[in-house]
Amino acid sequence: MAIAPDRPRAAIYDGSRIPQPVPTVLHVPEELRATGDVLQVNFGPNHPSTHGVLRLIVDLYGEEVVGLEAVVGYVHTGFEKNMEQKTWWKAITYPERIDYLAYQNNELVFVLAIEKLLGLEIPEKAKYMRMLLCELNRIHSHLIWLGTSALELGAISMFWYCFRERELVLDLTEMVAGTRMHTRYFQAGGLAEDIPPGFYAQCRTFCDWMPKAVDDYERMLSRNKIWLERTRGIGLLSREDAIALGQSGPVLRASGVDWDLRKVQPYLAYDRVDFEVPVYPDGDVYARYRVHIDELRESTRIVRQCNDVLEAMQGEPWIADDRKVVLPPRHELHTSMESLIHHFKIVTEGYRVPEGEVYVTIESPRGENGCYVVSDGGPKPWRVKFRAPSFVALEATATCMRNAYVADMIAIVGSLDTVMGEVDR
Amino acid sequence: MTFEAVPGVIETKEAHGETTLVVDPARLVEACTHLRDADGFNFLSDIAAADYLGWGSAGPSGYIGTAWGRDLNRPSTAGYQQVPAPKPKRFSMSYHLLALEQPPRRVRVQVWLDDGEPVPSVVSVWPTADWHEREAWDMMGIPVAGHPNLKRILMEDDWEGHPLRKDYPIGGEPVRFSEAE
Amino acid sequence: MAVGKPLRQLGLNSERVLWPSKGPGKFETEIENLEQRVGLTTLEKAVAWAHSKSMWPDTFGLACCAMEMMAIVSSRYDIARFGMEAFRSSPRQADLLIVSGRVAHKMAPPLRQIYDQMLEPKWVVAMGACASSGGMFNNYTILQSVDKIVPVDIYVPGCPPRPEQLMEGILRLHEAVQAGVPPAYEIRSVAS
Repeated sequence: MAIAPDRPRAAIYDGSRIPQPVPTVLHVPEELRATGDVLQVNFGPNHPSTHGVLRLIVDLYGEEVVGLEAVVGYVHTGFEKNMEQKTWWKAITYPERIDYLAYQNNELVFVLAIEKLLGLEIPEKAKYMRMLLCELNRIHSHLIWLGTSALELGAISMFWYCFRERELVLDLTEMVAGTRMHTRYFQAGGLAEDIPPGFYAQCRTFCDWMPKAVDDYERMLSRNKIWLERTRGIGLLSREDAIALGQSGPVLRASGVDWDLRKVQPYLAYDRVDFEVPVYPDGDVYARYRVHIDELRESTRIVRQCNDVLEAMQGEPWIADDRKVVLPPRHELHTSMESLIHHFKIVTEGYRVPEGEVYVTIESPRGENGCYVVSDGGPKPWRVKFRAPSFVALEATATCMRNAYVADMIAIVGSLDTVMGEVDR
Repeated sequence: MTFEAVPGVIETKEAHGETTLVVDPARLVEACTHLRDADGFNFLSDIAAADYLGWGSAGPSGYIGTAWGRDLNRPSTAGYQQVPAPKPKRFSMSYHLLALEQPPRRVRVQVWLDDGEPVPSVVSVWPTADWHEREAWDMMGIPVAGHPNLKRILMEDDWEGHPLRKDYPIGGEPVRFSEAE
Repeated sequence: MAVGKPLRQLGLNSERVLWPSKGPGKFETEIENLEQRVGLTTLEKAVAWAHSKSMWPDTFGLACCAMEMMAIVSSRYDIARFGMEAFRSSPRQADLLIVSGRVAHKMAPPLRQIYDQMLEPKWVVAMGACASSGGMFNNYTILQSVDKIVPVDIYVPGCPPRPEQLMEGILRLHEAVQAGVPPAYEIRSVAS
């Protein structure tokens, strides 16, 4: 016996639902406003369910959302201007804090941009380790997403389960880089330090444990009646709308577009590891959830493969040999005058990156994370601009929110997987 | 892939494996519509505005002992080994486009603008440009003509000035005991 | 938390004063046994004990530090041992404001409003370098320390601080509360 009548599950729509004239704002229709029953509510910047400081000004007609506008900028940090003041080396600490759940991916995109401008080749070991850490970071990001999204929809215990695995991921990161978050482990040229020997065994233990943990999550949510009711048919976004709105990452793949930059535009060594890209055609919150769960499994596969490759590569160099950019090993400073001069120049002045502009994109857990760097040939960046996938994902809120109830709004905003640090930069 | 059929292209540059099409601002919407419909660039990845005020003003770097010299206390303000070529105007807006196909194709459409010169909005071509253009207006002060909702997005609505311009100070507080006082 | 002195040392006059060789009477012996089993204390100390043992934080996660703040709720670091896992979303129900993350100029009015909506007694922990001093962001948009707008009790350094560091800060706050240190709004104003 059903407690409440089942809502008919909406299917993916034809045509476009992007609001006009402003694509990111839902306007209240005039006839509704004339009834006088429309209530404007502020989902203010301090709200438990808005994943950070997002402000939504919502017009409600009863329980239905008829008007929506997103106001952002509450954690605007001025990253791009700050990075123009620092040398290239020091500036690498900044991108990590932009998307603070996927900090390695942000570091990676900036460091890849520097290396592209420099034309620097990095050793294989650095490529695989960067890939391993970025996939661990993807697991970390998806775990937090899953924990907090489920928490908001009422599946409170998911938070503790996901954070238990998050601690395992952070243990691995701490072992390698010395700190849990914001590791600053990537340098232009490779990695900052070698990989500690105990890492491979612990990583293998993690890879053996993680699929069982994902099975646990699926057992709790994937066929849970309440979860299905609250996520299926909610927040629909069709293929064409998703592409027109610039969506990428899990949101795009949940709308049926088989697009993953790791497969179509492989960077690092993604063309040499074996993994699948989950794509679901439904375009609703449940499809995005399924994409995230499947990506957790695929990332564990990639981590396992990278770990095996890296264990065989012990003793190889972890950073490039170009002394104009990379610090020489310390033991050389005692004997070689050139090394001392290189060390001095790199530490005081910083290395110079040749003049040019590049735009590098990678697949971060949220989608296409891009970095546009303009260099004037000097020791500091001239302009750095980050393409944040969450910034673009929030533009799709108005489209996803057609015919939605207030309770669905929480599910939809959560499913777009936004990180406000990235939106506001 | 050649871009000769794209209307309004002034110049084509290739560097680091990327193609940049410099387009006349007045014909930007035409060029973008052509790129989206005829060439298949259906995805606008990013709109990046850059301010080139003071480009190349650090001068060439000299050895210690030359007339210009080098301030050892502020080494990272030293000049260039090669003075960069001057830019045509103060601001550039770069539209990074992507074609969602295998293999993916990327192109950068670039327009050059003076201070206060408006750029036409491409929201009609790619709706995602909405917030990117608002950010360009907010941060750089580049007015976007024809934008349906041109308001500040990252700063407060009544903020004065455009923070990412080169003549806007970094702000903040002076750190005590850091300069020679 | 017994006072630690038997009643006769507190100056309680009884028949012993009049009768010096008499030992403790039946009544006094009973009171002594009772003191050993029941805590006797002052009202302030009892109230301070209650404040510190269930100080509910407000959900004020702004940026990266919020992730480590969520980690103290998780099972490994478990702030529920200290009675604080109930993060209240409404400031009216919260006692502790953990400002975790960088405070932009745009966010400063909401932060002050949240602080004002909290009921006394209320404490503020500035978590992380950005809340304590502006952190690595010395620029036009980030408030160089949250104590410019709200009085702060405890500063926890780090970028982000480990969950254990944050818990150390919170536990020192508990100790301060139990020692009778008043909340920051009584003893200091905001920084200039």
